[in-house]
Amino acid sequence: MRKSEDITGASRRSFLTGAAGIAGAVAAAPTLAQAGSFKGEAYAFWGAHQAGIVTPQQSHSYFAAFDLVAEKREDVAALMRLWTAAAAALTAGQALTGAADDDAPAADSGEAAGLSPSRLTITFGFGPGLFTKDGKDRYGLAGLRPAALIDLPRFNGDQLVAERTGGDLSIQACADDAQVAFHAVRQLARIGYDQARLRWAQPGFIGGYAPGKTPRNLMGFKDGTMNPVVTDAKLMNQVVWAGADDAAWMRGGSYQVARPIRIALEHWDRMKLSFQEQCMGRRKDSGAAFGKIAELDPIDLDAVDKDGNPLIPENSHVRLGAPAKNDGAQVLRRSYSYDNGLGFVAERWPPWRQGMEFDAGLLFVCYQRDPRTGFVKIFENMSKFDMMNQFVTHIGGGLFACPPGAAPGHFIGEALFSAT
Amino acid sequence: MQMTRNLAIVAAAGLLGLACQARATPQGFLETVHRHVTLASMSPDNGDLNPYAVVVAPVSAGKIQKDDVLVDNFNNISNLQGTGTTIVDFNPTTKQTTLFAQIPQKLAQCPGGVGLTTAMTMLKSGWVIVGSTPSTDGTTATKGDGCVLVLDPNGKLVATWSGPTINDPWGNMAVIDNGSTATLFISMAGFGIPGPDVLDPATHYPVTVRKATVLRLELSIPDGQPPKLLSQTIVGDGFAQRADRDNFLFGPTGLALDEAGTLYVTDGLDNVITAIPDAISRTTSAGTGKVVTHDELLAWPLAMAWAPDGHLLVCNGKNGQVVEVDPATGKQIYGQWIDSDQAQSPPGNGDLFGLAMSPDGASFYYVEDDMNTLVKAAK
Repeated sequence: MRKSEDITGASRRSFLTGAAGIAGAVAAAPTLAQAGSFKGEAYAFWGAHQAGIVTPQQSHSYFAAFDLVAEKREDVAALMRLWTAAAAALTAGQALTGAADDDAPAADSGEAAGLSPSRLTITFGFGPGLFTKDGKDRYGLAGLRPAALIDLPRFNGDQLVAERTGGDLSIQACADDAQVAFHAVRQLARIGYDQARLRWAQPGFIGGYAPGKTPRNLMGFKDGTMNPVVTDAKLMNQVVWAGADDAAWMRGGSYQVARPIRIALEHWDRMKLSFQEQCMGRRKDSGAAFGKIAELDPIDLDAVDKDGNPLIPENSHVRLGAPAKNDGAQVLRRSYSYDNGLGFVAERWPPWRQGMEFDAGLLFVCYQRDPRTGFVKIFENMSKFDMMNQFVTHIGGGLFACPPGAAPGHFIGEALFSAT
Repeated sequence: MQMTRNLAIVAAAGLLGLACQARATPQGFLETVHRHVTLASMSPDNGDLNPYAVVVAPVSAGKIQKDDVLVDNFNNISNLQGTGTTIVDFNPTTKQTTLFAQIPQKLAQCPGGVGLTTAMTMLKSGWVIVGSTPSTDGTTATKGDGCVLVLDPNGKLVATWSGPTINDPWGNMAVIDNGSTATLFISMAGFGIPGPDVLDPATHYPVTVRKATVLRLELSIPDGQPPKLLSQTIVGDGFAQRADRDNFLFGPTGLALDEAGTLYVTDGLDNVITAIPDAISRTTSAGTGKVVTHDELLAWPLAMAWAPDGHLLVCNGKNGQVVEVDPATGKQIYGQWIDSDQAQSPPGNGDLFGLAMSPDGASFYYVEDDMNTLVKAAK
């Protein structure tokens, strides 16, 4: 394994030509750019919050989780410094550049050359394993682990596969071009080869809906209708951003839950439309809740039929996820559908179909200021009673603390690594 | 599933649905039931699935409060049948669910191990008695003979009964509980069943054997001591059984004893309810007994309970209906969809099993395998 002095020296030399240091390189971003590669829309990388959380959703994503093999805190900090610099360049639509040496690997794999920034965002997260792994405090960070960065409990119906679960670091790259998103994670993974190993990854997509339209997931229903409004800064402070009650280094950050959820599409596709709608508690076409006309009409959870049975079914997805049924709990969902081709599947529910089926579903991603009062609170109940559970299986995932954003000259998570 | 569980009463063959609705006087109990409310998940922390038995506690003892609902699980977290080891306690007052007992899956004194079945009861003396029909791969290919387990009211295993007459205690028990003595009736569904891949060339289904029995067990319960098994009598035999990959096995399942001592038995494979006369006193087997009713609304009848009007409520295995039967006439009065989950075909297929009347006789509890939940059907 390389030593930390190599990382800041050799690695930098390998792709950050002539920069006095990473911070300098970042501040002088054009030195990282290939002339003429900057076109199309780019989101600002630097800021109080990391981009890719309340940012309008791009059409593609690539999510990756890593296991750290770095031995020292400084090595991890150096990796984050390198990743931050690279992410700033990539999101600006710049290629990574290094020494012009035909006898060395290129600093950039090149497949994004000629493509626009495509609204690329790169969002970094820290898993519990950064702080404590197998009972060991590898980096002297255990004391800085925020209380909200819990070990997610086992939920009813969880069928988590170890190879798709956990991770010490996470990267979610989102862009309007699948190749741009993959390119970004590929470069970061390569930069991190000696310090962080890929553990699991999941590409995803959403359809090209007009701005302001709720996207549909692979179940064919609108997904995200009840999401809190991201332009409401006060609401985002309540729901998404870690506040003054959290660890100092996390304030302005957010907790990311990412869970690949396999959907038994072959089973779902055999269901009557009316039954699908009962599972959801909404009309498939309009997205309106039962008893309502339009998608955004407020749902009426108290409406009952003549026998006193609820109009919006007792175990429907919309009812169980509604803030009113979860003591007001809300999360900001930012999920992507996925399609991994085919896989051999033994379904969990009657009729227990077995065979080659679509390995497809939803990479559920949500952000919140505290998962204990967000995802865990909401999903604890849903995992037991949601009718949709007969068609969906959580097969992996993790919880990651996404630090606040960084200012130019600094790096993501700097306040954590410099804390004592 | 609540909303889909439309409350349609299904008229028995030969009865017009409209005629049903027009009648002023109730024909039975089910027409008074209009709501189905999910109470709780029955899957405990160890992930056990597939709730089977439903028992309402007759007394408060140990960890159990009177009127609590006890439910056991037949499957483990991997959803393998015959491997569930837990009994869950739901308190209707506090709405809290707690783990009452977790029994080791491997238990030397229980041949084949532990997979808890619908054969469960709680005695007035506080003892909980439950059957085991174990497997290691979720099919009858690895089935053991199982046993009857006795637990104290704190969920501790205190006795195990096994032997040549006990082979996969399966369906819901009929019980006479006199305090210091008790009589249990348990169906034994495992005798001679091979694995599900042993097919009958004529039907292409797993082979049917007819060796299942209904066993009467006489117990004495000395003060402060676990029940003692005094004697056993086979009161019925020759019931149909076969292996099934989805349902583990078919065999005699539901038992209900009337005040005259007639024991009613559901036999899923033959789709029939039969009656064994003088079940309390007889010293010989009545064979499969006298046919009370068959087919029509019955669709693999499973567990059975008495409604307050003297009718029998029978859960179907093949769909999500409960059927009300007048045992005196053999008339199937009607059925009701208590689980119309269309994720299965027919709706509710394979979801139902145990059921039990609430103490006030106005509603009943049942379990749903699709969601691993306890549900209450009420007015």
